Amino acid sequence: MKARYRQALVALGAAALLAVPLVVSDRYVLKVLTFVGVNSIIVVGLALLFGFAGQVSLGHAAFFGIGAYASAYLAGTLRMPWPASLAGAVAVAALAGWAVAMPSLRLKGHYLAMATLGFNEIMSVVFIEAKAVTGGIDGMGNVPFPSLGALELRTPATLYLLVWGVALLVIAAAANVVRRKPGRAMRALHATEPGAAASGVNVAAVKVQTFALSAALAGLAGALYAHTVGFISPSTFGLDLSILLMASVVLGGRESLAGPLAAMAVFTLLPYAGALVPGVSRVAAETIQDWVPDLVGLTVVVVLIVKSRRGGLTRPSGTTTDAGDVR
Amino acid sequence: MSRVRARFGAALVVAAVLAGALGGCGAKQGGGTEGGQADKEPYRIGAVVSLTGTYAGLGVPEKKAIELQRDAVNASGGINGHPVEVIFEDDATDPAKAAAAATKLIDQDGVLAIIGATGTAQTMAMRSEVQRAGVPQVSMAGGSVITDQLDPMVFQTPWPNRIVVPFVLKAIAGKGLAKVALISDSGGYGKDGHAIIAKEAPAAGITIVADETFNPGDTDMSSQLTKIRAAKPDAVLMWNAGKEAALIAKGMKQLGMTQPLFGGPGNGRKEFIQGAGDGAEGFRFAAGKILVPSAYGTDTEAYRVATEFIDSYTQKYGEPPDIFAGHAYDAFLIVVDALKRVEGEPTPAKLRDAIEQTKGLVGVGGTFSYSPTDHNGLTESELVLYRVENGAWVLDTQ
Repeated sequence: MKARYRQALVALGAAALLAVPLVVSDRYVLKVLTFVGVNSIIVVGLALLFGFAGQVSLGHAAFFGIGAYASAYLAGTLRMPWPASLAGAVAVAALAGWAVAMPSLRLKGHYLAMATLGFNEIMSVVFIEAKAVTGGIDGMGNVPFPSLGALELRTPATLYLLVWGVALLVIAAAANVVRRKPGRAMRALHATEPGAAASGVNVAAVKVQTFALSAALAGLAGALYAHTVGFISPSTFGLDLSILLMASVVLGGRESLAGPLAAMAVFTLLPYAGALVPGVSRVAAETIQDWVPDLVGLTVVVVLIVKSRRGGLTRPSGTTTDAGDVR
Repeated sequence: MSRVRARFGAALVVAAVLAGALGGCGAKQGGGTEGGQADKEPYRIGAVVSLTGTYAGLGVPEKKAIELQRDAVNASGGINGHPVEVIFEDDATDPAKAAAAATKLIDQDGVLAIIGATGTAQTMAMRSEVQRAGVPQVSMAGGSVITDQLDPMVFQTPWPNRIVVPFVLKAIAGKGLAKVALISDSGGYGKDGHAIIAKEAPAAGITIVADETFNPGDTDMSSQLTKIRAAKPDAVLMWNAGKEAALIAKGMKQLGMTQPLFGGPGNGRKEFIQGAGDGAEGFRFAAGKILVPSAYGTDTEAYRVATEFIDSYTQKYGEPPDIFAGHAYDAFLIVVDALKRVEGEPTPAKLRDAIEQTKGLVGVGGTFSYSPTDHNGLTESELVLYRVENGAWVLDTQ
């Protein structure tokens, strides 16, 4: 009964999200909401990786960027059809995720965080220096709109529907994954690695697969982003975004998809408060905009302090050790 | 436990108080911005400027100049009775932010035209947005790419590199310096200048003996300068518009390099002299006449326009305007002049047509005449060569 109630609620929420373009006519608001859809795809991947499997990544903005540049290059420069460029971008991002995960197998906690952070910085430099592909510091313009044959999606409403359609599919798939065997393996890994191994979980394989999967999702989001905004440049894929994403999962809580998604939605919308909420003055909006990174950082600090004393905001204390701890 | 909760509660209270104060202060500000009688709907113009990041030294005077001119227009009754409202967006010297700002100005604020951006890369990043929406854009950046590939929507106020570079190369060659080391930034303006310098140098009789680049935001130039020193050039030419220029001038001094240093309009900024200290002494660059207005010729219309602007700017802000303030003056002037000529209710399309018909409009950077094939309209005659002497700009008349 309870499960059915929940299902109905989720279905209602999804329907409401897809009905937004019918109600909202402001093109800019639709664009901003589209960004929330893009970010939700990344956050789902990161929630699987960190919230469920307990593997830290401070480099997901890099995978987002890899997907964006790959798809923009394939479709824009090489003139490949859009679905092929999208698939190519996801494959490249998954491959990159796999390549980062393999040597990082032995790392956990802070060390894995540092390795992924380093990867993000390396990719930031690559995005600037690989001028032939990325256009250097000036970025790439004129990324074509998503198109299927003759059908081109170019209005904010259709782009919104495309992004949120994909996002809802991803969320549904992830919800399924966490309820089934792979999800149980991830949770076992999070709780205790030797225990998971003893229960027949192939620890190394689960780690690498989860990392590659979440990198692929970030790549998918990147590809959608590039075609939606039509312009990408290295500054979009920096550490700021990685930290914002990680903060969403930290704040949203462990073993939850809804929590991180809600936290990410708040963080993503915060800079646009002036545009979304009527009546917010320009000065107040600019102040919020200036303080967003600080707010995000502060939230993480507060959550971690409270969590370390009380064992978490969303879970009762003392059940398992925390993912961030070095064991 | 309870202590933690109490602290948390205290933090929440503080946050709530702060938020309240913020909201209150914001509301006060918001209510007081539009002075004067607003009986007619204001004409909205967007402005994308770099108020933070490496071009902040350019964007800040630009914003000041536009605000000054906006107030002047509104004080004299606006345009056909309509006040002018300018909505500023800071692009933080970031192309992605500039593109997002253009989207916001067009989709949400419904502006008639966009002034900006400050930088070439930012201007180019806004292009697809501007094209899709059909809103005219008047750029304040000097990259040649902005108007070389003619875009019906995009106009430019500064002298583009294709005009400035030959002028500077001629000046270098004229001083008998043949071997030149080039250092340029990898951003839009530097890249654009680099390409034109490489193309034009042979014609001017100049050989490029070293060719170094750096990224906007770099904080160390010693490896590039060491290579340049090893190439033993007669002169060093730098091409950028960011704050990194001061590092280059200072670094040359520290490495004991005595070659004369040349640059372009992007270096005509106060921060350069302040940042480079005595490393700036003797630095020569080409720019328009606003820095030493007597160069216009004291009996000309341009002199009258420029000195009027310089006086009111100096009076309001306590320092004379630089060339970037001049570009912003021109960009605003071009939009306002065109708005006055639009018949009936202005739309972005009508405004674009009116801007393209600008003829003989005397501004600070030069006299603007646009045509369907030329959206810059300036020539080499608007330029002069400056030298830094005792921390100030003087005309370099050899």
